[in-house]
Formats: sequence, structure tokens, C-alpha cells
Amino acid sequence: MCARNSLYTNIKPCKHLADYKLRCGFNGYNSLQNCLKTTPNGRSRVDKHDTTIPRCSFCNGYQGRLYICLMCSSISCSSHILLHTQSENGHEVALDIDRSELYCCLCCDQVYDPDFDKVVVSKQVRDLPGGKSNGFEVCSGRSSKRRRIDSGIELDLKKSKQLISMRDRRAKSCYPLGLRGLNNLGSTCFMNSVLQALLHAPPLRNYFLSDRHNRDQCRKRSGEKLCLLCDIDAISSAMFSGDRTPYSPAQFLFSWWQHSSNLASYEEQDAHEFFISVLDGIHEKESKVRNSSKDDGDCQCIAHRAFSGLLRSDVTCITCGFTSTTYDPCIDISLDWEANNFSSSNVANKPIKTDEKMGLSTLSGCLNLFTRAERLGSDQKLYCQNCQELRDSSKQLSIRRLPLVLCLHIKRFEHSLVRKMSRKIDQYLQFPFSLDMTPYLSSSIVRSRFGNRLFAFEYDNSDSSAEYEIFAMIAHSGMLESGHYVTYLRLKNQWYKCDDAWISEVDEGTVRASQCYMLFYVQKMLYYKSNEDLSCMRISPRRDPCVSTAGCC
Amino acid sequence: MKHSVNRPPTPDAADDRGKEPTLQEIINIKLIESGEKERLMELLRERLMECGWKDEMKALCRAYIKKKGRNNVTVDDLVHLITPKGRASIPDSVKAELLQRIRSFLVSATL
Repeated sequence: MCARNSLYTNIKPCKHLADYKLRCGFNGYNSLQNCLKTTPNGRSRVDKHDTTIPRCSFCNGYQGRLYICLMCSSISCSSHILLHTQSENGHEVALDIDRSELYCCLCCDQVYDPDFDKVVVSKQVRDLPGGKSNGFEVCSGRSSKRRRIDSGIELDLKKSKQLISMRDRRAKSCYPLGLRGLNNLGSTCFMNSVLQALLHAPPLRNYFLSDRHNRDQCRKRSGEKLCLLCDIDAISSAMFSGDRTPYSPAQFLFSWWQHSSNLASYEEQDAHEFFISVLDGIHEKESKVRNSSKDDGDCQCIAHRAFSGLLRSDVTCITCGFTSTTYDPCIDISLDWEANNFSSSNVANKPIKTDEKMGLSTLSGCLNLFTRAERLGSDQKLYCQNCQELRDSSKQLSIRRLPLVLCLHIKRFEHSLVRKMSRKIDQYLQFPFSLDMTPYLSSSIVRSRFGNRLFAFEYDNSDSSAEYEIFAMIAHSGMLESGHYVTYLRLKNQWYKCDDAWISEVDEGTVRASQCYMLFYVQKMLYYKSNEDLSCMRISPRRDPCVSTAGCC
Repeated sequence: MKHSVNRPPTPDAADDRGKEPTLQEIINIKLIESGEKERLMELLRERLMECGWKDEMKALCRAYIKKKGRNNVTVDDLVHLITPKGRASIPDSVKAELLQRIRSFLVSATL
């Protein structure tokens, strides 16, 4: 039994559709199923194998929307469909011929029936070459490997509460715990900005605060002097110590130079590149320690537990519709810039300058672009197993499994090999504080290929782990070669600007107005949980920490 | 009865059956039979999505639904709303490309 997502099956049928179903059950649906023809891209239309094209029985027109009556199979166009209902009693439900969608003639509106959609989708699946293995996982009773929120935090939260229970009396400011400036050691703002974001990512913050990486044990175990995790742990302790004077992460910088020697210099580096290299360094160390060569999907190092997700890539043959699917792990998503250059002034042939970009670019636009089906050029023909030759194909990405912490990288830096120059896209990108990733999940993308259907797929993530809250944003200002990175952190719904050594409170407007370069979102439940922990700390007169229980605040 | 913006100017159905099919009809039938119409529709969908036309229409529909209320809108309303605007805002490049495709199809069909 497939788990049904209530969002897709709770639409009430109109009175007329309900009547029809009582009278005729599934007979009409099933007999129509044989007339459904599926095109390679997943559209379903009614094709009665006649030699003539369908025409309206009233006006003989063949253009526009044509509907076929479910009772008598007569065809009418949208202007005359009402006439048909009036002339025949009980003929209220019809089907749009081109789209295979139900239409109620009396309500004059499209209606939905999950049972009908099931009939349509099963025909579509049957028609696609390759059958069940065609990039579409039918309910097969396989248990879905859903990443549970708990798995990232089997961490001992009790310990972390004890660690930060004593409020530091030295702290003069009322800033929350963990906010501390980082000194710039020579164009290291790229490093400082990423460190601020990483250290405040709830899974990582909890990991270090619970002493999951003990520096003494680590040194004894591996014997190596260099461990990126130890250095990050040292920074984390320094950040949460309560001392507000700016800290110099020199030891970490040195370790990182050793790890990524190709990037070791005093030049400005790219923050995203640094981010990847740090996570890589953490993972390397972990896999050395555990002697495991598990692939990224199952790796239990803190970097992967927090950031690792799974991307699904579907390549579809344009000619026959055969889809081959591959899954690749990812630790972040790099988004191309969505140039929203369509606006109403395109209407009526007004000439537009080619370098003028009108309209607002948004994060959802970039995500839409990321998951859009892209037709690969004719020079990139791929081998289709069904056709047994090279064919034009289209490729579509979607997210099979979301990570606990979602890092979105906005590709603002364009490097053109042809013109041998690089440039930065300075435009403003609008982004939300609360992000719902449901439309970009594989289940949503695959579902949309079958049109407007109410159909539940096996791996519907019905637990709301697709909702995210932003907790950090790295902004870039200035030019490509000589810019400056700054991190904005969101703690307990208050934004703070971390500009190297200077921490300040800022309002939402400032954050929104900045040029975001990397956005860090965490699953909503983790965000609220982590904010709770810190705020529920009280010190009673006897100096015993008051451990919060659920619902006490 | 509502005027459908798609309604072609047609005489009575009874008269029509005896008449010769018009050139437009012949072309349309040829396009459908050869499967070219399906391909052209796919191409058109792709182009309109790429240039943002689809998103623009979606936004129009959303705004209308927001104004009227979700339960007071039918598909027919939306079709009538966006058809004139949609037809007017198709980029010239898309029109040109499709015309070119139809022309080359006609040339190859008569050979």
C-alpha cells in the first residue's frame, strides 16, 4: 500500500462527478483507458484510432478544446459542451481529449478524481518503454530510506546543556552565546565567513558542543598532528566560551593550508571553494580514522551527516520516452543565475536591448531553472537503450533526498573561456527566510511529468522534512578580484552581521538588500529546536541549571 | 452562451458536411496525420517555457484567483482571461520559428 499524501487525495468531487461515479463506477474510466495514447514526454490524450480527426458534433469545429462525453462518447467543443448536457440527461462528465482531464459540464470547470488519475497514470507507465524500471518507482512495498531528522542528532543534547549552563559573567553584551568575531589574517574573510556559518549550523554546533570530537582522544588515536576537526573544535570552544574579543583562527588556517596546498596563499579565495575543501578535509579525516571507504551517501562523518543529500538525474530520450535514472550524492547545490528577462514590455514587438535584464530574479526562479527539463543540444546526443542508437535527449534534475542542512550556492561569478574574462553578476537576488523545497523533490518533479494528476508515489516524503529555515547567509560585495565576504547569522529570529572581527545587530531589511552568495538553510524542526535549547536556559538561585522539558517554555 | 475566443467562424454543421474542406483544414489534417502537429506543439511548449511566457501566464492566473477567491474560479474563466493576453505576448522569434517549421513541412509534404 502506498503511503498517500493527503495533499493530493483530499479534493472533494463535485456533486455531478460523485453522482456519475455512483451510477457507473469505473466502467467509463476503464473503457477509456484503452483509448488513451501516451506521448514520449508523458502527455496523455484520447485517440480513438479513427482515421478522421475529432470534430464537434454541433459545429464540426476541430479547433480549441474538445471534450468527449463519458456516457455516450460524443465529442463537443467548449462552446457547445453545455448544449450536449442540456440535450441529454445524465451526461454531465466529459473528458478533455488533448489533456485527458475530467471536466464537469454543469459546473463548467475541471474536476479531479484520484481514481481516474490512477487509471491514466497506470496506462502511461505501461506505455513507456522499459516498463516499471523506467525511472518511475511504482509502489513496490520497498521501504523508503527516508532520512530521519533524529539520525543527525543522536548526539547527546544533555551534555551540551550542561556545558553552556553557566552564563558567562564576563559577557557584557546581551548577544546570544556563540557570537564572536574572527580576525582577518590577511584576506581571509572568505574563511571567516564560512566558519561563522558552519559553526552555527545546528548539527555541527551541537556536535562540537557535545564534545563529539575530543581533541585529546583524537591525538592519541591517529597520532597525526594535523586534524581539521580538532582545529574547528578549538574555534568552536573559543566561540562559545563567552569571551567576546575577536579570535584569530590561525591554527585552523595553517592546517587548512596543509590540506589544500594549492589554495595556500594570501590571495582572496572563493568562499564556496573553501567550503567544499573544508568539508572534504573533515570527511577525509573521518574515513581515515574509521578505515571505511563508504560512499558519500552513507558516510557518517559530521560533514556528510549534516550536508549530504541525493540528487536524481533523469535522462529521457526524446524519440521514445525511455528514461534512465541515476543518483548522485551532493553536499550542496550550485544554482545558475536565473535571468528573468521576460516582462510585459516584450508585448507588441517593442524592441528590447540585449543587455537589459528586467524583472526580479528570485531564489525560487533559480531552483526552478535547476530542476527544469533541459533539452540537450544535438551535439550531445546520448545512447538510448530502447532505440539502440544515439538520440536527442532531455535531462532533468531533482532532489531525491534533502540534507539536514541545505547549502545553496549562487553562481555569481561567470568565467568565460571563450572571451577569456570573468565577471560578477551584481544583481539582487530575492530569497525567502522560510523555504519549502517540496516542488523540487523528485517525487514532485516526477509527478508533474504525468500532468496534473492526483497520484501518490511510493517515496512521498509526507513528514514535513522539506521545510527549511534560513540560519546563515554569506554575502559578497565588491568586484570579482577584490571583494569582501560577510556572514549574516540568524539566531532566535534576530539577524547579526559578522564582518570579520565586528559583530553587530542588523534588521531584516539590511539582510534582504545584500547580495547573497551562499545561503544556508536548516530543516525547520532543527531550527526551532536549536533556538529553544539556548533560550530555555535559566540559572536558579542554587546555581543548578534548569533543564527544560518539552513544552515548559 | 459564452462566446469562446477559440470559436472559428463556422456555418451550420448540416451545411458544412457537404462543403469542400478549406485549405486550413487540409493543412491541419496533414499535420495531425503525419504527427508533425504533435512535434510542433512540443516545440512550442518548450520555447514558451524557456522565454518565461508560461510563468507570466501562471502569474496572471494566480493574481486573478487571489482576487476572486479559489472557489469562485473555473478553468473556463482562466482560459478566457489569459487567451487574449497570451496570444498577444508571444515573442516574434517563436512565431518565426514555428512558421518556418510549418513551411518546411508543407514543402516536404507536397514532394
